[in-house]
Amino acid sequence: MLFALAGAGASAAACMQVATTVAEKPLDLITGTAKAAPPPAPELTDRPAGARPQDGGAFPDRDASYASGGVSQPAPPAGETLSGPAAAAERARVDRPTILATDDPALHLLRRTTFGITPQDLADVRAVGIDRWLQNQLSPAGVPDGPGDQAWAAFRTVTMNPQQIRGAVKEYSWDAMFEYAQATLGRQLWSRRQVYEVMVDFWANHLNMPMPSDGAWNLGTSYHNDVIRTHALGTFTDMLLAATRHPAMLAYLDNNQSTRSAVNENLGRELLELHTVGVQGGYTEEDVRNSAYILTGRTIAKDGSFQYDPKRHWTGAVRVLDFRHANPSAAGGLDVGDEYLRYLASHPATARSIARKLAVRFVADNPPAGLVDRLADVYLKSGTAIHPTLWALFSSTEFWASVGQKTKRPLENVVSTARVLGVGQGASPDATKKGLNGIYWGLDQLGHRPLAWGPPNGYPDVQPAWASAGGMLQQWNRHRGFVQGWWKELSYVRPEELVPLGPAAAYVDALCGRLLFQPMRPEHRDALVAFVGSDVKGMAAHAAPLVLDSPYFALR
Amino acid sequence: MTRHPKHVSPAEAALRAHAEAVAADRETRSSLWSRGFTRRRLVAGAGFVGVAAIGGQLVSTRVSFGQPGAGSGTLVVVFLRGGMDGLSVLVPAEDPHLLAARPQIAVRGGSLLPLDRGFGLHPALAPLHRYWGTKQFTAVPALSTPDLSRSHFQAQDCLERGGSSTDAAAGGWLDRVLQELGPGTTFRGIAEGSTLPRSLVGSQGALALRGVESFTLGGWDGVHDRTKAALATLYTGFEHPLAAQATTTLAALETAERLAAADYRPAVEYPDDGFSKSLANIAQLVKSDVGLRVACVDLGGWDMHTGLGTVDNGDMQRMLTSLGNALGAFAADLGDKLNDVTLVTMTEFGRRIEENANRGTDHGHGAVALLLGGGLDGGTVHGNWQGLAPEVRDHGDVPGSNDYRNLLGEVVSSRLGLGADALARVFPGHKVQPIGVAR
Repeated sequence: MLFALAGAGASAAACMQVATTVAEKPLDLITGTAKAAPPPAPELTDRPAGARPQDGGAFPDRDASYASGGVSQPAPPAGETLSGPAAAAERARVDRPTILATDDPALHLLRRTTFGITPQDLADVRAVGIDRWLQNQLSPAGVPDGPGDQAWAAFRTVTMNPQQIRGAVKEYSWDAMFEYAQATLGRQLWSRRQVYEVMVDFWANHLNMPMPSDGAWNLGTSYHNDVIRTHALGTFTDMLLAATRHPAMLAYLDNNQSTRSAVNENLGRELLELHTVGVQGGYTEEDVRNSAYILTGRTIAKDGSFQYDPKRHWTGAVRVLDFRHANPSAAGGLDVGDEYLRYLASHPATARSIARKLAVRFVADNPPAGLVDRLADVYLKSGTAIHPTLWALFSSTEFWASVGQKTKRPLENVVSTARVLGVGQGASPDATKKGLNGIYWGLDQLGHRPLAWGPPNGYPDVQPAWASAGGMLQQWNRHRGFVQGWWKELSYVRPEELVPLGPAAAYVDALCGRLLFQPMRPEHRDALVAFVGSDVKGMAAHAAPLVLDSPYFALR
Repeated sequence: MTRHPKHVSPAEAALRAHAEAVAADRETRSSLWSRGFTRRRLVAGAGFVGVAAIGGQLVSTRVSFGQPGAGSGTLVVVFLRGGMDGLSVLVPAEDPHLLAARPQIAVRGGSLLPLDRGFGLHPALAPLHRYWGTKQFTAVPALSTPDLSRSHFQAQDCLERGGSSTDAAAGGWLDRVLQELGPGTTFRGIAEGSTLPRSLVGSQGALALRGVESFTLGGWDGVHDRTKAALATLYTGFEHPLAAQATTTLAALETAERLAAADYRPAVEYPDDGFSKSLANIAQLVKSDVGLRVACVDLGGWDMHTGLGTVDNGDMQRMLTSLGNALGAFAADLGDKLNDVTLVTMTEFGRRIEENANRGTDHGHGAVALLLGGGLDGGTVHGNWQGLAPEVRDHGDVPGSNDYRNLLGEVVSSRLGLGADALARVFPGHKVQPIGVAR
């Protein structure tokens, strides 16, 4: 085909000349009018980042980078792991300044391990004590969950397998994915198994497979049930094995298109960078290639189930970090892959990555290195088991000393608002479903619908990433929405019935106790008292949101 | 609200309907208002003074190292997330290695829009090509920095901190640009979106928002000013990033409410998608003279490992059509004001030169930037170009023949007026040498 371009003076041969440039006499904007020669093209051979991704950055992951770039908050001091959470709570001293009350570990525990404190949660912790409450929560099967199950049951597709979903919704319809995400929101709002829901959200982001996304219309429900929810408090090895042979993940990161003759690196790369050892694990581009080789053959059958297709598997010796295998046969490729995944799951760099991420979730945006090391140690010694790793985290003095170090993300702010106000389910499953639909789309404006982060690295978990004037304003608006009952299908406590109406000062004190579980500082309290004025009843619908707008509620 | 009716979800519609119902209730509540709490008294009240005082402090304590810049207008940075395949956009169609490396997906010469130096433009970008003739559009190939890896997240992070992999530059590069610009308005640095891009993270309090249209209060009827005053007090007296953010939010609300009252209409109809809406929002801020200097917006969807497609269909054609139509509408909407704006696209890396067997491409290196607006030496492709011959390839990729920092530094210098000392602080460890894109 002829290539005719107006004004294209250069011949093909001229185009191939090395370092052709038209900027022959650029005006030097920096030093004035002197003409500078164009910069020489960089050397092609000496580019470390081209060989090893680790050399292309300075941080373990995105959140570490954000946390380092934002206005820094003081990191909690180094500490130690004690015999249990209550003992650590007893030992720890909060010496970093915060506006949150520092004398009540139960509040700190609930702020960090639930989607928001309710009076019921607090009563539970007070009744059984910190250790027992956590033990119960970490064995969620023993916690009756009528409200969570009730919200879940409002959505007909959330327990279906891919075949059933194909029969229940139109082909490529997003209905089942929206149902799943909204049912997830329902569990966050009403489940009695709050620690479990927090961990489900954590792992759903760590092994992110977004809902909605194109390939997940019939597969995503199973992914989140059978990979994330099944293993959220099990072992990471089992979760990783399940994820890396789940059709939804294989489709999301293109492994279903990767064959011995057409290797696609997408899953092989993110498996290393995001799911396991992290970019500072030290792997090379050659390792990425080998990682992709190992995963070839893992694909999707016509009926939507997982299939290992030996014909697609790349055979021959493979090497990734210290993992080596002769990988001699197509038939054995799936086992090689599982061996590789087990190796990665129990790699010390994976232990550090996951320990750090847990510490960022539960302790601070810049967690103390000593804590991360200790958690990584527990993770490895317990065979990648999540329960003992979490127990060690909650038994650390760093956790209990970190009061006020975390900020709620938009989803957590919105859900905790509904929880503390006692927003209840609708009169019928359909009403509950409609109400959740409304809240869900409201979260879209905040950029934080559950499960909806598009790229494979999951939602950010540090405050500087969410520093947004628009987000803050929309959160303030949502406080009004829940106090004033905007989503009509749900049930509400009337604002004037949250606490007894009395003189403004007494009313404000009661309201802070009811919504914040602590008093405000005098100058903040005085502003609220002045705001309420003499018409306490008339101002109730406006005073409660204002308490929720305050920094006392915005922090975790 | 009526400009983009399809963006209104049923839930939002219900929310708005409720807001109207609340507004109808306003009469009752205004009796409360008239009971002695007038706006005038509020303005004189302690809380409101607090807002003004803190707002002023926020601006005046921003450190300004350099001389006030000679530049004016607005820099718009569009980050194309996922690694846009430059060879499908700014196509070196006369290079015989292109077709050899990409027998299935190379855009053939005959279908390209003519540029120069052997390059053609993907036809889906026709809305930009009209600005080639007016010298308001240009492009640069083979952009990178030596530190960029093939990891999306490493490469984005590195570029957004200023192109160097070390942690010496912990803040975002555009945050440092704002710092060098010195004091300005609340709206001087914005990101269209829900989270703050890494490039704006730092000390300068850039705003992330989704248009002034949605920057409104809901359910505050009758107590609007009292609530704002109380909020200002609630966020004073303690050290936390949220305190500054609340102050910025309240200050921005003042501006947004003024703009909302002006009944703004864009000059053209934008396509009905989120990216276009973001550009429309930025155009509104440009035209409203709120002091906007730096605006960021993201467009994801460029990680085309499979199904990149051909010139007529596939993911690339679809994405470039969206990009071209949106940028075309933005330029047309700005009209003469386009000369006060320089828009530059970035992406974390280009793709492998060889196509893969899924009609896609894997992660590579040298990337393409598109530049649109005023102050450009448009109508010619700028920068070094070494072709695609095997001996010039960098690990199978387009090499980084042009340093991103030179392009960004030159644009920042010409558009915003930063001098050499300032640029050395924006890009630590690198001496900016212009590529020649600026007039």
